[in-house]
Parts: sequence; structure tokens; C-alpha cells
Amino acid sequence: MMDKDYIVKEGLLEKYLLDELDTDETKAVERAISEHADLRQKLQQLEADFERMAFENAINPPSHVKDSLKVQMEGTKIKQLPTHWLWTAASLTILFMLTTFWMYTKWQATKKELNSLQNQSVELEERLDLLEENYELTNNRLQLINNPSTIPFVLKGNEKIPNSRAVAYVNHDDRLVVVNPKGLPELPSHQTYQMWSDVDGEMINMGLLPTDKDLVTLKYIDRAESLNITIEPAGGNDHPTVEQLISYVTL
Amino acid sequence: MRASVRKYTGFLGLDEEEPLFIISLTSMEPPPLEDTEVIQRIINKDKDALYLLYDKYSGALFGVILRICQNQVLAEDVLQETFVKIWEKMGSYNPDKGRFYTWAYRIAKNTALNAVRKSDKLIQNEDLGVLKDKSTTESEVDLQKLNGAISRLEPHHQEAISLVYFRGYTHREANEEMGVPLGTFKSYIRQALQLLRESYKIGIVLFWWVTEVIG
Repeated sequence: MMDKDYIVKEGLLEKYLLDELDTDETKAVERAISEHADLRQKLQQLEADFERMAFENAINPPSHVKDSLKVQMEGTKIKQLPTHWLWTAASLTILFMLTTFWMYTKWQATKKELNSLQNQSVELEERLDLLEENYELTNNRLQLINNPSTIPFVLKGNEKIPNSRAVAYVNHDDRLVVVNPKGLPELPSHQTYQMWSDVDGEMINMGLLPTDKDLVTLKYIDRAESLNITIEPAGGNDHPTVEQLISYVTL
Repeated sequence: MRASVRKYTGFLGLDEEEPLFIISLTSMEPPPLEDTEVIQRIINKDKDALYLLYDKYSGALFGVILRICQNQVLAEDVLQETFVKIWEKMGSYNPDKGRFYTWAYRIAKNTALNAVRKSDKLIQNEDLGVLKDKSTTESEVDLQKLNGAISRLEPHHQEAISLVYFRGYTHREANEEMGVPLGTFKSYIRQALQLLRESYKIGIVLFWWVTEVIG
């Protein structure tokens, strides 16, 4: 056990302050300091004197030392970055990657969908055009058929084609003839129906009657007395084959 | 400032009866109480607090480090290393055992002594005269000359303090360096410290007198 006077006499406080004591001596001095207020006060006095002397003999270091210290401190910060931050950063990166991938897939799908929609839209437009065209045609025909000055004539088939018929619509004001040949039986491909007008005993060609059409517009012939249908070789004939007459109607 | 007044009674001694002296002193020396806040911030890993502490103490510590190292470049490295150690070890500083400066001084001294030992070995092994040469040519400050109250002491008192405090010598090394018995050396130190304290006291009285009478 070190006694207070011994510490003072041996200059142990000075040595303690200068870090010259070994571990046992240090502990002993520290114990004595905590027990004796006057010893503690003496040490505080010494410390203050030493500090003041140090400040009186201070030498300012060049400013680059502080800069260099700051650089080193920033470096340690990165080294000491807590792992949970790294985990957070890693998780965020993965999340970001997944989101990016998802968005990319989504984008690609949308692009595909847009392409198909654009194609569909073009298709629909084309169909609409076609429908409009068809509508206009049908409308024209309907108007023609429904016109009060249009007269319908039914051409019944004779014994060669019994139970068959064609309908001719004739408008003398507009000089139009339209025939519905749907009621006629289909012919082999080397034959066709042809229509003729009888004017003063002479048969004048009005045109062919293909059975695959709903309505066929034919030539209007002035002063026609009757309408006649014959079966002719494919492509039509200059003169009617009378033996092949299958129907006629008087106007 | 006012909060630091009580701290300084220790410095002056409890037998001092004139509190006005204390107040004048606080304006001369940085009050240690604000350190406790800065120190707590460093423990909480606030780097700006370390730079504050650097601004306050780097000069005083560099004065010691440069006198031990006797080499500007080496001393600068040691100063930086010292503050890195302060940053790392701050949690182990116990204010009940002493002032912050005393603690930091010990770190600086030990770091400097180790650095000198290492560089001496380097010079011996590899014959590098660079470090030694620089010390004599580069240092603009006269490291032998001390300032302030100690410079007014007798040469043998100055040298005794200088060796143990500013040069990092142990008492035993220092008394051999001065060529006097250890007992004599110890009494040099004791006398020097006593004179130093007297001189600081007079300084305070003078300061008080100047501020009171003239102001």
C-alpha cells in the first residue's frame, strides 16, 4: 500500500501524468487519488499546469495534416459501414432488378398487344370499307327494286327446268334491267344462261346470267316485247339457240 | 464560460480566496467543460466533433510530437495517427481519472516514441539518412527553445521539464542525459513545477490587476 507522502515525495504524480508508471504502480496511485482529496487536487493542479505549458509551446501543424486526417476518416467510415446497411443496399438492388425485369416483360407484352390491336384495327377498317361498299350496292339495288316505276317479271322455267324461275326488274324511266337468277338450277361449267329481248321478232342479246350472283344488271333494250332465257355454250352466243329456250315473259 | 468556473478552483488550489482571479483565467484558457459534450459526440461517432477537438488541441500536441520526433514529416504522420487513435479509443477515456488533454498527450507521446524507434531501426538497417537530415534542415521552429512561463526558468529547470515532458524521456533516461543523480533530477522537476505554478499565479494576479485597475 502506497502512502500519500511517498507518492508526493517520489514524484509519482508527475510520473503518473507522464505515463511512466507500470500497471501496479498506476493502480496504486489511482487508488490513493480516489481516497485523498488533496492528492486529487494536486494532480489536477499538475495537469492544468502541464496543459497550459503545452499550449504555450504549441506548434501549429500544416493544414494538409487535417485534410489528410479527414480523408482517412472518410475511408474508415466506408470500412466500418454496418452490415445491415449492406444488406439493405443488396435487398434494394435485387428489388430494383426484379422490378425492372417485371416492367420490361410488361412493356414487351404491351408492345405485342399494341401491335396486334393495330393489325386488328387495320383489318376492321378494311372490313368496314368492304361492308360500306356492299351496303351501297345492296342499297342501290333495293332502291331500284322498291322504286314505284320498277316492274317485276317472273320468268318460270318450262318443261326443261320445271319448278325453277328467275325474276327480272325492269325500270323504263331509268332504262334499267336487273335479274335475280338464284331460282335457276346450276349449269355444268361449259354452259351458261343468256337473256334476250324480242324486238319486232328479232332476238337482241341482253347479257349472260351467272347463277352465282344475287342480282345481275343487264342491258336495257328499247321497245322490247318479251324477255327470253336460253342455255348457251360458256361465254355466250351471238344468236339464241331456240331449242334451248327455257323461259320467257311478255312485257 | 461561467459553468467552467468551478472546474478551475482545482487549478488554483482551494486555499485561493479570490474568485475574480478564476473568471479572468477562464478567458485565457479554453474551458474543459465544453469538451465533455464534444467527447460524447465523438463516442457517438460524430466526425465533425473530432475535427473540433483537432482544431483545439492539434497545436499543443504537435508541439510535443515534433519535439520528440525532431522530424517534420514523421511528426505530421504521428499527429494524424494520434487523432485516429483518439477517435477509436475515445470510449475508454474516463474523465474521472484526468483531463482529456492528459489522456491525449499520453497517446501522442507513445505514438511518437514508437514512430521514432521504428524510423531509427529503418535508418540502421537500410542506411537511410533521409529522415535525420530533414530534421535539421526543414524545421523552421527552434525546437530547443521553449516559450511561455517555462522559458523564464533557470536553464537546468527548463531542461529537466523539456526532457520528460517535451522529448519523451523517462526520469531515468533524463537524469543520465543531464548527468545528474536521479534524486537531484527529481528535485529539479519538483522545483521547476513549483516555479511554474508560482509564475502562473502571478500571471493571473497581474492579469486581474490590469483588468480591474485599468478597465
